[in-house]
Amino acid sequence: MNSFFALSPLLIIVFASLLVLLLDVFLKKENKNYLAYISLIFLVICGFICIKFWDKNYSYFNGNLILDNLSLFFIFILALATGFVILLSMKYISFQDVNYGEFYALLLLALSGVAIMLSSSDLLIIFLGLEVLSICSYALAGLKRTDEKSSEAAIKYFLLGSFATAFLVYGLALLYGSSHSTNISSIINFFVTESDLSIMALIGLGLVIIGFGFKIAVVPFHMWTPDVYQGAPTPITAFFSVVPKAVGFIVFLRIFTPYWKNALNTQAIFWILWVICVLTMVVGNLVALRQTNLKRILAYSSIAHAGYLLIAILARDNSSLVFYLTVYLFMNIGAFAAVIALSRKGKEYLELEDYAGIGFKYPWIGVTFSIFLLSLAGFPPTGGFLAKFYVFSTAVRQDLLPLVIIGVLASLISVFYYLRIIVYMYMKEPAREIEIAIENPALFLVLFFCLYGVLQLGLYPRNILVLINQAISSFF
Amino acid sequence: MNLPILSLITFLPLAGAVLLIFIHRDRKNLLRFLSLGIAIITFIFSLTLYFNFNDQIPDPQFVEKADWLGYGINYHIGIDGISLFLILLTTFLMPIIILSSWTYIQKRVKEYLIFMLILQTGIIGVFVALNLFLFYVFWEAMLIPMYFLIGVWGGPRRIYATLKYVLFTMFGSLLMLVAIFFLYSMYYKATGVYSFNLFDYYNLILNPNIQIWLFLAFALSFAIKIPLFPFHTWLPDAHVEAPTGASVILAAVLLKMGAYGFLRFALPLFPDAVMKFLPYLAALSLIGIIYGGLMALIQKDAKSLVAYSSISHMGLIMLAIFALNTEAMEGAIYQMLNHGLSTGALFLIVGILYERSHTRMINDYGGVSKQMPVFSAFFLICMLSSVGLPGLNGFIGEILCIFGIFKANKLLAILGISTVILAAGYLLWMFQRIMQGPIKNEKILSFKDINKREIGYLVPIVIMMFWMGIYPKPFLSKMESSVTHLLNRVNKREIYFTKSQKDKDFLLEIEPKTTEEKNEEKEDKFR
Repeated sequence: MNSFFALSPLLIIVFASLLVLLLDVFLKKENKNYLAYISLIFLVICGFICIKFWDKNYSYFNGNLILDNLSLFFIFILALATGFVILLSMKYISFQDVNYGEFYALLLLALSGVAIMLSSSDLLIIFLGLEVLSICSYALAGLKRTDEKSSEAAIKYFLLGSFATAFLVYGLALLYGSSHSTNISSIINFFVTESDLSIMALIGLGLVIIGFGFKIAVVPFHMWTPDVYQGAPTPITAFFSVVPKAVGFIVFLRIFTPYWKNALNTQAIFWILWVICVLTMVVGNLVALRQTNLKRILAYSSIAHAGYLLIAILARDNSSLVFYLTVYLFMNIGAFAAVIALSRKGKEYLELEDYAGIGFKYPWIGVTFSIFLLSLAGFPPTGGFLAKFYVFSTAVRQDLLPLVIIGVLASLISVFYYLRIIVYMYMKEPAREIEIAIENPALFLVLFFCLYGVLQLGLYPRNILVLINQAISSFF
Repeated sequence: MNLPILSLITFLPLAGAVLLIFIHRDRKNLLRFLSLGIAIITFIFSLTLYFNFNDQIPDPQFVEKADWLGYGINYHIGIDGISLFLILLTTFLMPIIILSSWTYIQKRVKEYLIFMLILQTGIIGVFVALNLFLFYVFWEAMLIPMYFLIGVWGGPRRIYATLKYVLFTMFGSLLMLVAIFFLYSMYYKATGVYSFNLFDYYNLILNPNIQIWLFLAFALSFAIKIPLFPFHTWLPDAHVEAPTGASVILAAVLLKMGAYGFLRFALPLFPDAVMKFLPYLAALSLIGIIYGGLMALIQKDAKSLVAYSSISHMGLIMLAIFALNTEAMEGAIYQMLNHGLSTGALFLIVGILYERSHTRMINDYGGVSKQMPVFSAFFLICMLSSVGLPGLNGFIGEILCIFGIFKANKLLAILGISTVILAAGYLLWMFQRIMQGPIKNEKILSFKDINKREIGYLVPIVIMMFWMGIYPKPFLSKMESSVTHLLNRVNKREIYFTKSQKDKDFLLEIEPKTTEEKNEEKEDKFR
């Protein structure tokens, strides 16, 4: 249905962002937490709208912006993630001397870019959203202005990100040149019907894949990930590890679902993705073994998870992809929340040695962090197990057996480094004293929300699965 | 009886663990008594299983089925004559383990007890699950508490040991998971129905070439767990480093899961592949028997001696299982229980000694029986039970195993009997070096004889040893029909398959409902 309502989530987020920017000027420094509350309120409204618009299929701009259930589901989920990130950063900002106002404004603006990307099926509009997201991300990575690592992260992210964007734009131009359209379905239609594909079109598609591959951090386009993750403020790292990845995969889903459906010449693209997928799983997990910095470990783990998610793309199974992304959000943000919990004013504890003995010293942080790590490693009865289970089982059904075997062996490697963190937390004597600021209710709220999410999705995800199936079927 | 008794037994320990979370960590005795109480209540509940178990029915009883996640993933549990006793063994040993850890574990008592109870839920879950998904969930979930038990309360090399244990086990089980997916997708392709139900899979006739790979994946996972010969290296490490309680549960129950996996999954699901690999598996078991025995002879550490004796004994059990006849199979299951009792008891005994002297080296001891006469008697009985003295439980199991193996293949039986000879060698020698002779170490003079608590948990084990050694009928009669049913499943399928092999191009099909075939048994599998 063509309706102005289709713009409402987007408008609300943008409005919230501008409001936060405006209020930032008038609020005193000790009152700046109100900015977080305002952002949260608007996120709640946005989530409420997503629920209200379910099954309504509003669209605007000649169908270039469609709020189908899939996009509503993900706007909701990623607004939730942004909400978590805001909750995580409330104390963090004052501890680590990050700038206040623009922090929330940029986060919200990035979310608006996400909303554009999610609700469009036109590659050019998706590109616009991507740019909004990316530019906000570059700024967010560098918000710890006094920290060299943070600035390095911002520069690195910006340079490499611009390159990736250039690839993407060039790819789009080539695709438009050969198919005379920027709409995904007509491009795919062109690919399917054209018997003799020009080199131009194939290169265009390849470049588009590179552009998005950078965003979702698959090998060999992953080089920026560890440095940016390490340098960026930790809540922002949590944001980076979840939101751009989820969006990138949804775009992949929108591209590849029609493509797989009636593609005759899938071979080349299929094998390219296959190789990328294997490389991502293997390299991500192997390199993670050698890391001693928690943020870097989680960075490589997020690369590896992109590999498992690619299996879902290759297996042509959308619901397991969406389920995996949902679980991934809870477990990854939970893990970062536990990392953020181990900090005090002016100091973050990020080396593995710092974690020695904290499992018994801070039991709640220890237990929840362990559960998130076990979930990332794929142990039942957590959500991480069920997510991997769905992905791998559908992949076997699609005759991707070698891929699945590589996948499970890669996740065996991952078990080692996830368990190593638990080894430090519970099985080593503390080497140095660490002191953390324990009173941080917002953070514990996030920890318990994520814990609930991981366990609920692991034990009884029925309702979510129903929603996911509705979301998937709306988009077909 | 409408009470979901099996779920109750499975999840009562977990509920207990949740309860313990809310008790303050300094109230150690309350924590201990509470967990002991939970373990005992679980045991009493599990006894009702035994008394209500109908030994005429070969199929699972006390079945509970509920919808869970859809796509064939159901909550489906039940027990037959094989799993019944393994559950009883678990619930019987758990109070004993908690009692044995009473003073042994001083640090972090609360967490220890919580992990023990969670572990119990995981173990029972593995034995009751009839849905492959559910089975796998329990099978993997059980690793987590064990990982913590070894890693937190273990000896100096505990981190190495626990990571090795987890990675070895996961390596096998992940490949098994892929095999499960494969079965799942084949079943779906053949019938259009999603199912993880074990009994649906029993009806699948699989192409032998596919069976080989699936069987290898399952067998690898179980072989690591047992452990069969080349996959055993994690076991001595894990046992030596684990605290007593974890060692007991590891030796007594966790190793049995591998054997149980063979009985429940690998044999009936892939009979053709079994026939193909039988000689190799038998050879590996035999190597395990002799290798484990010889290694046990030269161990200086009492705990790793018992660990290697486990490898040897499990080798005999597996050899008996691979004989594929009723005597051997019953003997194997009986011997699993015996091994659980006697090796568990030996670990408890080493633990008692360790608590007094804080050393496990055999050479540090000598003449202990002068200081600890009562303990000496218990040690002797448990040791002899493990050796297989007539009148004690080990004898019945071993003799049944050897009979069965003899029926299948004489040479294997003759070689297999070396397990008894070797066991007599290393165990008696260990007893002699520790308990007899002059007192070498002054520390021993300060040893106190075992106290009431320690007697309290050793007595039930000794009673069971005598009972099972003198009057095994109540045990064997309950498992008989399930065992014959299992063997039928393996053998009948083979017959069916040779009939239909002419038409070679089918991938798989669902077995038509054939009439009940008579209990034909093929004894000469090894030839």
